[in-house]
Amino acid sequence: MKYALYTGCVAKGAGRENLVAARLACEKLGIELVEMTDAACCGAGVINEDNPLVADILNARTFALAEAQGLDIMNICTTCQGVHRKAQRKLQSKPEYWTRVNEELERDTGRRYQGEVKVKHFYEVLLHDYGLARLREKVVRPLAGLKLAAFYGCYATRPPEVNDLANPDDPDELEQLIEVLGATPVRYDERLKCCGFPIAMVNKENSMQLGGNAIASAKAAGADAMVTPCPLCHLNLDAYQPEIESQLGRKLRVPILHIPQLVAMALGVPAAALRLGTHIVRPTALMAS
Amino acid sequence: MYSHDVVIVGSGLAGLRAAMELVDHLDVAVVTKVYPSRSHSGAAQGGVAAALGNVDDDTVEAHIYDTVKGSDFLGDQDAIEILCNDAPRTIYEMEHLGCPFSRTADNKLNQRAFGGHSYLRACFSADRTGHALLHTLVEQTYKHGGKLRVYSEWHMNRLIVEDGVCRGIVALDIKTGQLEVLRARAVLFASGGYGQAFKITSNAAANTGDGIVAAYRAGVPLQDMEFVQFHPTGLYEHGILLTEGARGEGGYLINAEGDRFMSRYAPSKMELGPRDIVSRSEQTEINEGRGAGPHKDYVLLDLRHLGRAKIMERLPQVYNLAKDFIGVDCVEEPVPIQPTAHYSMGGIPADNDCQVYLDENGTHVTGFFAAGECSCISVHGANRLGTNSLLEALVFGRRAGKKMLDVVPGLKQAGVDEEGELLAAQQEIEALYAGDGSEDLHAIREELKETMTYQVGVYRCGEDMRQAQSAIAGLRERFRKIQVKDRGGNFNLNLIDALELSNMLEYAELIVDGGLAREESRGAHFRTDFPTRDDVHWLKHTLAFRTDDGGHELRYKPVTITRFEPEERKY
Amino acid sequence: MAAHKLIFRIQRFDPAADREPRDQDFEVELPPGITILKALNKIRAEQDPTLALRYSCGSAICGSCAVKVNGHARLACKTQVSDCADNGVLRVGPIGNLEVLRDLVVDIDPFLESLGRVKPYLVAEDGAAPDHERHQSPEQFLKIDPSTTCILCAACYSDCNVLEVDHSFVGPASLAKAHRFIFDSRDTATFQRLGTISEQTGVWDCTHCGECSTRCPTETKPLERIEEIRTRAMADGFHDNAGARHALGFRETVGKRGLLDENYLPARSMGFGNLPGLLSLVPVGLRMLRRRKNPPLIPPSIDKADEIRKTFARFEELRK
Repeated sequence: MKYALYTGCVAKGAGRENLVAARLACEKLGIELVEMTDAACCGAGVINEDNPLVADILNARTFALAEAQGLDIMNICTTCQGVHRKAQRKLQSKPEYWTRVNEELERDTGRRYQGEVKVKHFYEVLLHDYGLARLREKVVRPLAGLKLAAFYGCYATRPPEVNDLANPDDPDELEQLIEVLGATPVRYDERLKCCGFPIAMVNKENSMQLGGNAIASAKAAGADAMVTPCPLCHLNLDAYQPEIESQLGRKLRVPILHIPQLVAMALGVPAAALRLGTHIVRPTALMAS
Repeated sequence: MYSHDVVIVGSGLAGLRAAMELVDHLDVAVVTKVYPSRSHSGAAQGGVAAALGNVDDDTVEAHIYDTVKGSDFLGDQDAIEILCNDAPRTIYEMEHLGCPFSRTADNKLNQRAFGGHSYLRACFSADRTGHALLHTLVEQTYKHGGKLRVYSEWHMNRLIVEDGVCRGIVALDIKTGQLEVLRARAVLFASGGYGQAFKITSNAAANTGDGIVAAYRAGVPLQDMEFVQFHPTGLYEHGILLTEGARGEGGYLINAEGDRFMSRYAPSKMELGPRDIVSRSEQTEINEGRGAGPHKDYVLLDLRHLGRAKIMERLPQVYNLAKDFIGVDCVEEPVPIQPTAHYSMGGIPADNDCQVYLDENGTHVTGFFAAGECSCISVHGANRLGTNSLLEALVFGRRAGKKMLDVVPGLKQAGVDEEGELLAAQQEIEALYAGDGSEDLHAIREELKETMTYQVGVYRCGEDMRQAQSAIAGLRERFRKIQVKDRGGNFNLNLIDALELSNMLEYAELIVDGGLAREESRGAHFRTDFPTRDDVHWLKHTLAFRTDDGGHELRYKPVTITRFEPEERKY
Repeated sequence: MAAHKLIFRIQRFDPAADREPRDQDFEVELPPGITILKALNKIRAEQDPTLALRYSCGSAICGSCAVKVNGHARLACKTQVSDCADNGVLRVGPIGNLEVLRDLVVDIDPFLESLGRVKPYLVAEDGAAPDHERHQSPEQFLKIDPSTTCILCAACYSDCNVLEVDHSFVGPASLAKAHRFIFDSRDTATFQRLGTISEQTGVWDCTHCGECSTRCPTETKPLERIEEIRTRAMADGFHDNAGARHALGFRETVGKRGLLDENYLPARSMGFGNLPGLLSLVPVGLRMLRRRKNPPLIPPSIDKADEIRKTFARFEELRK
């Protein structure tokens, strides 16, 4: 198995540990990754609002790069994943617009996006391409006794037509994955809610409250840690957790893990290699293991 | 007790349009059983008629003639002239208020074909025309800010008329269960139709004829109640409306054999014949064994040849309704349909300024007005043409407003016996709790609806209607034994159900008796035992007067004919 | 298909009797092809006449019957039971973000009042007694076609994540209503509308969670309309707010190196002249620095950033 690895911006910035873990996990699984060092930011739904055509050209360029490599794309961020899928769907539903995007793309890069490449998140690769049964066999260090709350984040579930969840209104794909890794999935009310990250700079109070409600809900359900496929959720829930705590007026101290970290750990990657110490809320129990 | 200059009951197009006319000048309140944006005007789909001539050389004259002919000559021609003359102004006004209308390539209001109209006359907003118009008026209520008082989710129980003078209403605040008198110098009923008495109906649950029955119980006669329109394209079993615009855009009606059967009934107009004729044609196909489906009890609306793009642009709601409610993709498959009770031609008799008549001699109830579907002015006669109802609501809603503006300053607030009125309303409610509970109101309602659909439907005959008559008498008797179980004050739906059923039982009887008496076939009223129109005996309006014993007496009044003498109706 | 048995787990609340909402199970036998609304009315008719709910048209146009089904807002009248049953249990509750009055009925007045904040009516100069229509092209009509399909059912308001934490947010339906006029070629108040909507609690306060569009039973799809409003506000120069500055930060950094500069972006969003805002970023910055979680000081770049620069250089041209 071989994928073009789209890192996105956060993996090059404040969430480098996510990229490290994804590489290590894939190495253990024999999944070959070719990093797309020339792929640009997906726009995160923001460039799209500033200028939809520019955003679509950027993403078409990314798809064209992968097509040139002859590989499908693996994302390690559900925001990138969701934005990519939305862009593909938009282009496919508007042939004339697609042609326009390709004309602009060709003018700037000499490339065209043909519509062949598929984009998949790391966890979707595990679920649908690699297979959970096969993954289960590879688990050498089951995360037994660990109660984990999956936090899906918005782009993993909405809009439902651009994700692959069997039941987007009540998904259990991440819970299945957690269970395969030997940990215990914890269900809680806020698992499909927004983490608040997109408005962190616009309305910090609302952003912190959204993040706080999610963490508090997971904690109340007995979770030892939360795990998310989106590094932006990670940032809001982890890096801002002290601010969230002071807004809520209570201690939370819930570690926020990236999915690849969890997978790598269960596959036997030493905790020390996973940069868990960079987290603001350190998962001390895991780090010791 | 609340007090206003004008109380309008109903928040659909007629009610809101009247309110707009008054709000800057008088203290006006709208009382609605739902919320304004949820009024049933919003469910109208295909269009609103006006001879703009934007896409052909239509004329107001042609609109008048088509409407008179469509009404099977029972429509009052002076009122029809007003309706059609005022149509272009009405459309331009709504457009200027912001109503989104579908456009022609040269940026004018687009117009589509509709049944019984001889030109492309229906202005439309995709297939959500009623919704677009209603929301435009709801938007205006925001513009008028705090000036318009809206009593949302109030159920109107009684109209107060004494000595021929209207004094206000008694209504129930559904949110609290409190009964209140709303005193007014004038009351306008714009309370909609009465299609809920039928099992297969396109009408909203709210359309239980509360207005007409309150007027009737207050001593006002009801006119032409036997004329109930059956729309040809109700979604099979659900009765949900699929717009006539679907045929206006070129849709076919086919039977089980794939045959466009309308060629045998209305060879020149085909699927765009008037609704009464198309519905009867469908029913004949079904009755004669050419229906589709396992029970051969429906026919098919075939849109496939229109193609996906046109369906999605012009008929998106039709697409969604078929998809969501019966899982049929109308791009790929024809849609099962059947006639559905749709529009109430009958209602509260009123003059061309919406002033309500107390009798057949032109006596008015002082300070009482009616407009829209609850009224019978009568612009639709025995059969309404599609797209004329939205038009009527707007034209006559405005006229009612103008007339009230004119007369209300000269009216004094008549005295109201608040205690007596509240007591009467309270006693009516208490009676619904006092039954022994041996009968079930839902069962009675379902039986009524089945009786009406199957025995007083598209085809009627004396025998069926006599059976229906005794069935309804039996149901009314059984209704005394029901018992409302919910003692709660707020959102007591159980009580509202009972109040509504009481209304339905009361007016259903008038539909049947009016139909039984009318020994002819005219427009939507078709009798297999009297299959032809009889202008000698029946070119007249029915008026049903309530008698003191709870029964009624039928009297008649002539039709106003100005220019078009009755002639044979062929399409 | 035969009828099948199902548990309807309905949230009940009667303010006169209950302190807290409670769940009540109703076992029902339903024919195939039945909607949630018909099932609820069957329960009222056969089991419990005291169940309170709202409904009217039964054909997805009046917007009365939004309820939560299995935790998400849906129109009861158009939702098939067969699409929702989950292990034989189907949960029904009142829609969210509004006070429950009884059972499935909520107080929708705050929702309707929120619409009033966006001047929800056409503003135009022409006189009141027109003798012709104003011209509008089919393309101009199509721009407002989606936002005019809104039925005010409040499903979006119910599931909006921001409203859950802040009722001062104008909300998705109001923004869709604003869209309907901002993009109406006949409206003359576009500039004022964009200005008002760019303020705090307006269009930039949406967190993009996508619930509104996912729950919307019509073609309104508020999130898409919100995105279009933001695009228009950016194009028309309404840049003096954190949301717009955030977007400019993307434009400026991605447009240069192909990737975000995560050190620059927060400061850009706050506004370089906004000292309290900038100071509020200090604790989290230091915290990340201490853990070496901070983005690198030399901003990352893709291999051929010049290609991206070419595209961004034509930004305004591409806008058209």
